[in-house]
Amino acid sequence: MKHKGLLLLLLLLPLSGQAASISHIQLAAPSPLQAVDWYTRFLDCEAIEGRDEAVHCHGMDIEFDARPILGTTLGTGVDHISFSFPDVAAKMDELERIGVGGLGVRLQRFDDGAVWRDIDGFFVVGFIFDPWGTSIELVQDAAHQGFHHIHLSASDPTATLDRYQAAFGGTRGNVTATLDGLRFDEAWLLASLHETANPASTEGRALDHIAFNVDAIDSAVADIENSGIALQQAPNVPANARGNGRRAFFVSPDNVRLALVEAGWAGMILQESGGDELTQLLDNYEAPMTPWGEPDLQGIWSGDAAHGIRLQRPEEVSADVALSQVEAAARRERGTLQSIWGYEREWRDTTLGYTKTAPLTQVAMIIDPPDGRLPPMTDAAMANRQTGRNRGPAVPAGPEDLSSWVRCITQGLPNHMMPTVYNNGLQIVQGPGTVVIQKEMIHENRIIPIDAAPANDTIKHWLGESRGWWEDTTLVIETRNFNGRSSFQGSSENMVLTERLTRLTTNLLQYQFTVDDPDVWTQPWTAMFPLVLDNAQYDLVEYACHEGNYSMFNILTGARENPRD
Amino acid sequence: MLKYLPGLWVSKLTWLAGCMVCCLGCMNVIAAEAEFPRAWDGHPDLNGVWQALGTAHWDIQDHSAMAGPPAFGAIGAIPPGRGVVVGNTIPYQEWALAQKQQNFENRYTEDPEIKCFLPGVPRATYLPHPFQIIHGDQKIMLVYGFAEASRTIHMDKENPELSPIDSYMGRSHGRWDGDTLVVDAAGFNGQSWFDRAGNFASASLHVVERYTPVNANALMYEATIEDPNVFTRPWTISMPLYRRLEDNARVLEYKCVEFSEEILYGHLRAGADAQEQ
Repeated sequence: MKHKGLLLLLLLLPLSGQAASISHIQLAAPSPLQAVDWYTRFLDCEAIEGRDEAVHCHGMDIEFDARPILGTTLGTGVDHISFSFPDVAAKMDELERIGVGGLGVRLQRFDDGAVWRDIDGFFVVGFIFDPWGTSIELVQDAAHQGFHHIHLSASDPTATLDRYQAAFGGTRGNVTATLDGLRFDEAWLLASLHETANPASTEGRALDHIAFNVDAIDSAVADIENSGIALQQAPNVPANARGNGRRAFFVSPDNVRLALVEAGWAGMILQESGGDELTQLLDNYEAPMTPWGEPDLQGIWSGDAAHGIRLQRPEEVSADVALSQVEAAARRERGTLQSIWGYEREWRDTTLGYTKTAPLTQVAMIIDPPDGRLPPMTDAAMANRQTGRNRGPAVPAGPEDLSSWVRCITQGLPNHMMPTVYNNGLQIVQGPGTVVIQKEMIHENRIIPIDAAPANDTIKHWLGESRGWWEDTTLVIETRNFNGRSSFQGSSENMVLTERLTRLTTNLLQYQFTVDDPDVWTQPWTAMFPLVLDNAQYDLVEYACHEGNYSMFNILTGARENPRD
Repeated sequence: MLKYLPGLWVSKLTWLAGCMVCCLGCMNVIAAEAEFPRAWDGHPDLNGVWQALGTAHWDIQDHSAMAGPPAFGAIGAIPPGRGVVVGNTIPYQEWALAQKQQNFENRYTEDPEIKCFLPGVPRATYLPHPFQIIHGDQKIMLVYGFAEASRTIHMDKENPELSPIDSYMGRSHGRWDGDTLVVDAAGFNGQSWFDRAGNFASASLHVVERYTPVNANALMYEATIEDPNVFTRPWTISMPLYRRLEDNARVLEYKCVEFSEEILYGHLRAGADAQEQ
């Protein structure tokens, strides 16, 4: 990567005569620590001393911003970034073996299924996504190893490169014999025609912005404003900045968010604290009452913040430990990726509410037994478990061999109340003497009569027979008469589930449940986690699960094609 | 008549007004003897378990007794019943009447009820299952005894909000007109039928429902059906809803999905091909 040199001297440097260079690109990652790990592990970037939210990649710095991601780079003004490796086929092979599970690598295959292709007039190339939605092209350019280029997607590529050159300098040159680019010390800027000639804004997406170093930020900003481009953010030192350098933002005509940074810019300090107030009980909170005089729990509550909290506490962690905000974000991200690694990143990041609430720092849900672990199982339950009696066959012979959740029948209890990776909305509606809990996930309703006599009947239900009562401002729900066909952690039809819902603050509902199932566990156990009020942006939608359950057709069709069948 | 004409809209208004006068008249007579429970705010307290009686779930129009699937004998046969359509005529456009007849022919495979699909509006109301009204201060929730169907009637929105997605059960906004709960429901996906006879509407369906106390244990239910893509004019159904008076009246969990799986996935069972041969 030794293209820089004499040509630079020939340039016109329009930013008040300053030489500009690329400071960094900023990518989003809910957990910057994990992003640093990923880029160093898979793309040979290096950690930067004194910084935990950025990496140095052979000339280019990449900063990671701890925030939700509004979608991949695709379709925006920056289509992808690129790294050069000496043997792309071998590198793609290595990355394919890593797999997509966890914080893995997602390969973008070509139409014929291949993972790399020799493109005439360009290089051998392959495409991957990082786990946070940035499209990365691997190229085999012997003349330039490491970070290779930023590929803009523009309505008029030539004019776009001209504009960057006029504003920031750089050298026009040939990336290959037939491809023109704009060379900076750090990397090439390339530009291609956007498929609709109308790129989406990079702001909030996986790659948010490209930052350029400037010597005199105020005059550089004035130049940009004089050229008719409005500033988005005047130069300032953001809160939590590590250094004292100022940063300004504007958006290029091709919808790329650009930053100018002055000397002293050193990225952001990750927020290690400040998020714990969510779980702190506010003293003197008076729970609201309904007009007819019952505690008011109504609203749309979401388990999004609790997603990722483990049921059992790891044995080596003591009860008084909470995660840091950074660790909590990392845990949720890990949990998300493990549960839905096959889903399109863009889909889940643009549609899921979970990225909008701060993750909770609670380590585990079980609070009793005090060791945070499920109590020992009874001998009979252990024997059942070991014989695998409750497990369906590997190849389903019919719908009954699939889980009640896959079949869109039920999540069962208490699973129904537990946070998962999406559709965590719980709507509570009350009338005098009745509470309804509606779960968005596959749509289920629980009608809980207050102060009703026990049913004392022999009717069995997937979700059991619930009745409730108020203890002070806590709603207690006792549920029995389960049909035992949607077991939770091995629970039986004789489980008695006692749930306690207490509004701790306007926005926080503590959910606690006790499982008493002497057939399965040698003692009752209790777990808790909070639900967060989300009336403002969460409206339950109809999850018509069974009606659109193509999975059943696909799974059973696949099973019938399976030679083992 | 395939399209709405301005003249028809005028006649629709006249017709609607006529119907309302008629119905309000009869309500007044009944209301005199009603002692419907009142909520904390003075409105009728709709909380309770309710159910329609009759045969509208078979056919909302007049229908004679008819055989069902022979294997089910008299259990599967269709009892006769007076229709709930005011005037008994559903003003289908020509193509839509043909579609209804085709639906009827295919009712034992195509009816969404057979597949345990969400029943839509107004069909959920008069399926042969109870439903519970949970009448709160911000929302009124209807939880139906079939397919885990429910509706949230938003009483707390100043302006109706568009449905975020088209859905089986639509989006409902409610308001009080005297003692009548008026519910405006739209945002449907056009996949629902009205009954087991194949009556249907499209995604343009707009239903205005009126729940009016008749006496302490009955509501009169009226629904005006509007769908310019299927009908030549709006039309109305009307029937009473009765309070379930048993002490232990409940809407019990009826997860019918598993009972539809044989119809939907039976051909994909291991050995299914062999059995057919």
